[in-house]
Amino acid sequence: MEKLESNETLTSDLQTLTILDPLSTKFTTLNDLCFEISSLQDLAHRGSWRSIIDKIIRARKQSLLHKPHEHLIYLCYNVLALTKLRRFGDASDELDSLDDFDSHRYRYESYPEDYPNHEKGSMVPFALRWLHAEIPIRLGKRQETLDRLYLLLEFVRVKVVKSLNLSMEQWRRREVFLINTISSHHLNNKEFSVCLKLFKELLSRDSEDPVLLSKLGYIQMQLGDIEGSKGSFNGVENLIKKRNLEGIEFKNLINRNKAMVYLVGKDYVSAVREYEECMERDPTDVVAINNKSLCLMYLRDLSDSIKVLESALERVPTYALNETLVVNLCSMYELAYVNHSDIKKTLSNWIARVSPDDFDSSSTRS
Amino acid sequence: MSSSPPQKQSSSSSHSLAFRVMRLCRPSFHIDSSLLLDPLDLLTGEDIFDDPIAASHLPLLFPSSSQQQQPSTNDLSYRNRFELHNPNDALGLSGLLVLPQAFGAIYLGETFCSYISINNSSSFEVRDIVIKAEIQTEKQRILLLDTSKSPVETIRSGGRYDFIVEHDVKELGAHTLVCTALYDDGEGERKYLPQFFKFIVANPLSVRTKENTFLEACIENHTKSNLYMDQVEFEPSQNWSAKMLKADDHQLEIDSHNSEIFRPPILIRAGGGIYNYLYQLKSSLHGSASMKVEGGNILGKLQITWRTNLGEPGRLQTQQILGSPIVRKEIDLQIVEVPLVTILEKPFLVHLHLSNQTDRKMGPFEISLSQEGLEEEKSILVNGLHKMVLPQIEAFGSSDFNLVESVTSNLPLTLSMLVQNLIATSLGVQKIAGITVFDTREKKTYEPLADLEIFVESD
Repeated sequence: MEKLESNETLTSDLQTLTILDPLSTKFTTLNDLCFEISSLQDLAHRGSWRSIIDKIIRARKQSLLHKPHEHLIYLCYNVLALTKLRRFGDASDELDSLDDFDSHRYRYESYPEDYPNHEKGSMVPFALRWLHAEIPIRLGKRQETLDRLYLLLEFVRVKVVKSLNLSMEQWRRREVFLINTISSHHLNNKEFSVCLKLFKELLSRDSEDPVLLSKLGYIQMQLGDIEGSKGSFNGVENLIKKRNLEGIEFKNLINRNKAMVYLVGKDYVSAVREYEECMERDPTDVVAINNKSLCLMYLRDLSDSIKVLESALERVPTYALNETLVVNLCSMYELAYVNHSDIKKTLSNWIARVSPDDFDSSSTRS
Repeated sequence: MSSSPPQKQSSSSSHSLAFRVMRLCRPSFHIDSSLLLDPLDLLTGEDIFDDPIAASHLPLLFPSSSQQQQPSTNDLSYRNRFELHNPNDALGLSGLLVLPQAFGAIYLGETFCSYISINNSSSFEVRDIVIKAEIQTEKQRILLLDTSKSPVETIRSGGRYDFIVEHDVKELGAHTLVCTALYDDGEGERKYLPQFFKFIVANPLSVRTKENTFLEACIENHTKSNLYMDQVEFEPSQNWSAKMLKADDHQLEIDSHNSEIFRPPILIRAGGGIYNYLYQLKSSLHGSASMKVEGGNILGKLQITWRTNLGEPGRLQTQQILGSPIVRKEIDLQIVEVPLVTILEKPFLVHLHLSNQTDRKMGPFEISLSQEGLEEEKSILVNGLHKMVLPQIEAFGSSDFNLVESVTSNLPLTLSMLVQNLIATSLGVQKIAGITVFDTREKKTYEPLADLEIFVESD
């Protein structure tokens, strides 16, 4: 039984092919889990979702997948890739080709020759259940997505109760993940009261997470309860102190929260100062960079606000290139230039060269 | 979104300068709905950890989130668009702000704030620029900016001059932001550039009040956003004092740690949501009950402050809220005593008190149990003369009398009636309703007495 070094993670290197039953011998490489999965992971990290789809088509055509669970994992990857590329109809069709998730076709014990020593259970990747719930809203059926997510949450809660040890831990993580996903949908629709209720639940399980408490502060700010948000941010600072959390991410969190309080009080100069401290510590802190740029604009300094964003895209493109930052930059271009189509075209061209496949190019509005 | 409010340029000759305008209300937090996944949930079956061999090996392949790498500028992958490290990241609320993407709706009580940029898109320098910005409404023109005292010396080719204006919106209806520039263009010609940006101010709230020593104010939200009610205060006029009444907080925070940060906010839903406020009013006027103030009376005003995204404030004050005029009652009829037990079909007495609250003689009166207005048979009937006559009552005097009721079988009113009788003809809770006073001299019928409920038992 080979032991891995704890810092050796195998999520990005190409692996040698091993065609073993992955589930009853060793798990030394990712490819032990599934045929050539590490190359799919590699492509996913680069955002090359179109290549992933091609690879999957080829694997299916050439019948390279042998085990039932491999088909499911590849299908899951395919649905994910199609969704990332905003081909929601195709993703939905792919899911329709499946039986009910709880079908015996998707259980290890239905294939004793393939999984001789394996414990009973479902081989459906949890991501597949979740994607199945998330697709309807992207096809205009919001209520269907919410219904499926709440049902899935119930399913997960039952599993939490029935499981032990690592299994239970993983189901718990999925439960927290789902509550957050559901809250995100409610937030998008400005359903703040429901959101706050769900948040109460999250905080009651984990009252020691400063990042989570910060998010409560943001929700309170978003709906207008400034005093409430200040209380939450004070709580965050106390937690960080109490738990002696010294990482850069926590120092920056405190600065960014302070900056938000200055910002809503219209003291943009102080907000900029806080964000600059963040950027000094961590040049990849995109939230600080983006928000500083907005503060400069509210200070009437449109030129510098544009420079901050352009510089970030140049220096740390894989962190800075996100749709929101691009939307903000394009709003600034439209304000700064009467003939803004030229400069937006330059930006679009650059983005086309550098961006991952799933980047939403409609964010440049050109 | 810049300058997207409809604009028209009145001059067709080419201008070196142009205005670009963007409404600068507060930004919002961006909610990220990208699909981030825990790699374990993608690459393995959901029950994988049920298997003991998998449970002992897999964690080595997938480092837990606590072993996150320090940020470095060397990571050239987009794994942050794909991998989820902490389940709470699925909320998508990183704190990233996004600029307002549309002009949006603007309401009375809010502050209109706008970034205005004047651009020189020609290849020549322009000089001596006098810039003005004002808001025009039906009623007035409000100057927001005027550089005539110190004109901008120059804007180079490709250059800009920026300013931010703010205006508290206090009128409803059409508003126009008028931006003008008077400048020397590249050829030395003095040019005038006006640009107009229109917007409409709507009414955000309606306030309906009901009062009767308690003032109930119902606030309805007509905007497209949820409104966070920051402060709603009633300012009473000098004749009154007011106290806000609140229901007990049902959601008592058992966890004291949370209770500090978790006061549930008062949020009125967009597009027609309502919320009610209740105030108890006390008159600070002294005087006996018989000297009540007549006519309308001013109770006070409501001051309302609300907030929308990131605390964007709005303020309104209602007009004076009037109390319903205190009608001085001329006569007052009250039931002062009913028997403890009322038996079916046995006569019973009801003791009434009629007082004359005027300063003159009134009457004679007829007291009767009105039979009108009821579809079904009344179950309390007068056993006796239908009408009871009372002689005149002196000024500020009163007269006590009894209505003797007796209980007969379920027969309609008998013709030969004893004086002042009431009869209950049905069991259970019954109403004595419709006791009416008629002033025979002034030929005036007063409002019937309010219904009184009694309980009729069997023998």
